[in-house]
Amino acid sequence: MMHLGVSLSPFGHHPAAWRAKDATPRALEVGHFVAQAQKAQDAALDFVFLADAQARRPQTELPPQTVPFEPTTLAAALATLARRIGFVATAASAQHELYNLARRFASLDLISQGRVGWNVVASGPTAAWNAEYVAVVSALWDSWDDDAFVYDKTAGRFFVPQKMHVLDHRGEHFTVRGPLNVNPSPQGKPIIAQALTGETIAMAAHSADLMFVTGASHEEGGALVAEVRQLLESQGRKRSDVRALANIIPWIGATRAQARDRFEELNALSLPGSAPAQQGRDVIGTAADIADALQESFERGEVDGFTILPPVEPAGLDAFVDVVVPELRRRGLFRARYEGTTLRDHLALDRPRRPIAT
Amino acid sequence: MNSDSAKMKLGAFLMAGGHHIAAWRHPDAHARAGVDLEHFIALTQLAERAQMDMVFFEDAAALRERDPRLASQAARSTSFEPLSLLAALAVNTSRIGLVATASTTYNEPYGLARTFASLDQLSGGRAGWNLVTSASELEAENFVSSGLRPHAERYARAEEFANVALALWDGVDTGAYLLDGKRGVYADPAKLHPVDHHGTHFTVQGLLDSQRSPQGRPLMVQAGASDVGKDLAARTADVVFSAAQTLAEAQAFYADLKARLPKFGRGPDDLKIMPGVSPIVGSTTREARAKYDALQDLIPDEVGVALLASYLSIKNLSAYPLDGPLPDMPPTAGIQSRQQLIIDLGRRENLSIRQLARHFAGARGHWQLIGTPSHIADEMEARFCGSGADGFNIMPPLFPGGLEDFVTLVIPELRRRGLFRERYEGATLRENLGLSPPTRR
Repeated sequence: MMHLGVSLSPFGHHPAAWRAKDATPRALEVGHFVAQAQKAQDAALDFVFLADAQARRPQTELPPQTVPFEPTTLAAALATLARRIGFVATAASAQHELYNLARRFASLDLISQGRVGWNVVASGPTAAWNAEYVAVVSALWDSWDDDAFVYDKTAGRFFVPQKMHVLDHRGEHFTVRGPLNVNPSPQGKPIIAQALTGETIAMAAHSADLMFVTGASHEEGGALVAEVRQLLESQGRKRSDVRALANIIPWIGATRAQARDRFEELNALSLPGSAPAQQGRDVIGTAADIADALQESFERGEVDGFTILPPVEPAGLDAFVDVVVPELRRRGLFRARYEGTTLRDHLALDRPRRPIAT
Repeated sequence: MNSDSAKMKLGAFLMAGGHHIAAWRHPDAHARAGVDLEHFIALTQLAERAQMDMVFFEDAAALRERDPRLASQAARSTSFEPLSLLAALAVNTSRIGLVATASTTYNEPYGLARTFASLDQLSGGRAGWNLVTSASELEAENFVSSGLRPHAERYARAEEFANVALALWDGVDTGAYLLDGKRGVYADPAKLHPVDHHGTHFTVQGLLDSQRSPQGRPLMVQAGASDVGKDLAARTADVVFSAAQTLAEAQAFYADLKARLPKFGRGPDDLKIMPGVSPIVGSTTREARAKYDALQDLIPDEVGVALLASYLSIKNLSAYPLDGPLPDMPPTAGIQSRQQLIIDLGRRENLSIRQLARHFAGARGHWQLIGTPSHIADEMEARFCGSGADGFNIMPPLFPGGLEDFVTLVIPELRRRGLFRERYEGATLRENLGLSPPTRR
């Protein structure tokens, strides 16, 4: 079965989506995001992805796609109103004190009952700094054994002291005693996600559970996944320990001509000089064409599924859920309903093993 | 008493099992409350139905006890991280204020200002930040290798932190997101005021991605009671939480803080003072007393004494006889105001270490009222009408029962006396608190 996530945006992922004639004036309201998350959940998608336009700063303007919600707080809110789907929220390492970030995501994982992932933007000063940051966050998530909390009122024992682990990390860049003061979640710990680029690939191979292939072409994505496979194996991990998903921008029409017209209409609205780097591969056509493209790409065996970047909202996600997902199901490529409860369950990832206590 | 409305403001200070240190062991307690989101949603909705001004969550970015054996006996070792919890509560409520503590010592102003701005958007103008500095060694050890920062240094950083946060919140005007597709203007540059701050502790440039809050800015709350803390509050806070045992202490604090306001161009109604109070309500005095005793009996002595030591910011009290008085203590690098409050109470009422430990373990240093609804309303009225408080932060010993008792027994009594609102006056937290909308600085 393929894995499918959807990246939320106020107007859609096309840079000119906010200028389209059917752009909704309610795009910056939280209700608009709630509706999208619920729509994605109705289709039993694996997760909702929340990007972070402010991950790189300083910014002195608010470019299109900016929303007035910080991703981790938005994820907490959405997780209470959509209670099956996973949430992968972006946070930049250099913008959060390490212990605070570990806590925030551990808490999100409790709020969502095990449905959260951290999409790492490694914005620290050096690769070594970023690698240590992620490793210590992950180690803090191992502060408690899964059965540490016993809530024994009679004995006055809230947890078993031997099942709490003080990290006492003293590294090159960080000093963190621990333990994390948040209980472990039903999925053990949040998953770690990262976009694959030449810069991030080594770090992702070391620590990520979920990898995003953001290129506009098959070839580019295929090369990155092949490289990551080698890097994983050199570190004793297997390709099957991780999920690699390609970003897809589906332009869906009742006919190919309609889909093509929409694509061209949006391109014509683009402001000169405003186009950011292409975030995924455009696929243009009918529901069957989109399903063909996804099936073909999935069956090559390079990627495990896709993150859908609807070019316009809410029409883009509605169309994907209403016509493409049923087509994928008819072909036996996507689940009919959720089979588990946590994000790890959805992604068919094993529960992480706790390190052996020393 | 507050002169603008003559209604008291009421907050519900929420915590997993209750404010009493041994609450989680009580037969009525929901022992797993700390990991149960539904518990907090239900408590917040209960406070909202009662038209209370806000719920409040405290915070520590560490365990509260170093010794694992002691920590393992208390329910407060772990909790939700409060800002993610507030976000979850924001979309499950519609009127009540949502306030949480965050430290200026171990956060950066851009990220924290952004998070509160986001909470304010998610809640439609109901978010508030209780600004604290971190005085705990256990917190320091989770962030730095250099140990606890001295009081003065923490407050210098807090001052600058508050200035930067206010400037960031003022950086985007109302209506800045123009979304004018025809002209191709997403945000109106004339309504954006990027920060360019180069200070002693922080360099911060640029804008938040948020838009101006429906309440102007997130509410600013403080609780520092040292001299420098009171000045910072008088300059920047909208609400101050305090701890006062007696009416005279409450009045002295109230008068002192309100007298500092003109110095910063502010009037007495611009800052609301809300002391903490832990009510234990019974239909008779005897019944209330029995509820209290049942909780006190659940406190292990070693937990109580360790908690007292941490409030006094000293390492260890166990070397001193449990039934003797507090030893003389040097001035602390931790929270000075709380140390003095405990020493004063011990001397005034001639209490032993064990008695003080039980007393403070119970209400954790806050004012405790044990009795009938009318007794509790009398005491609150005396402070409210006697220039000792603009309202109260209610700290029920046990959840949900303690809050239900307060809401169903005490609030109706306060309403009969015309002391508390029948329904919310406004849509935002500031409106309900009777605070005027902040202007751009």
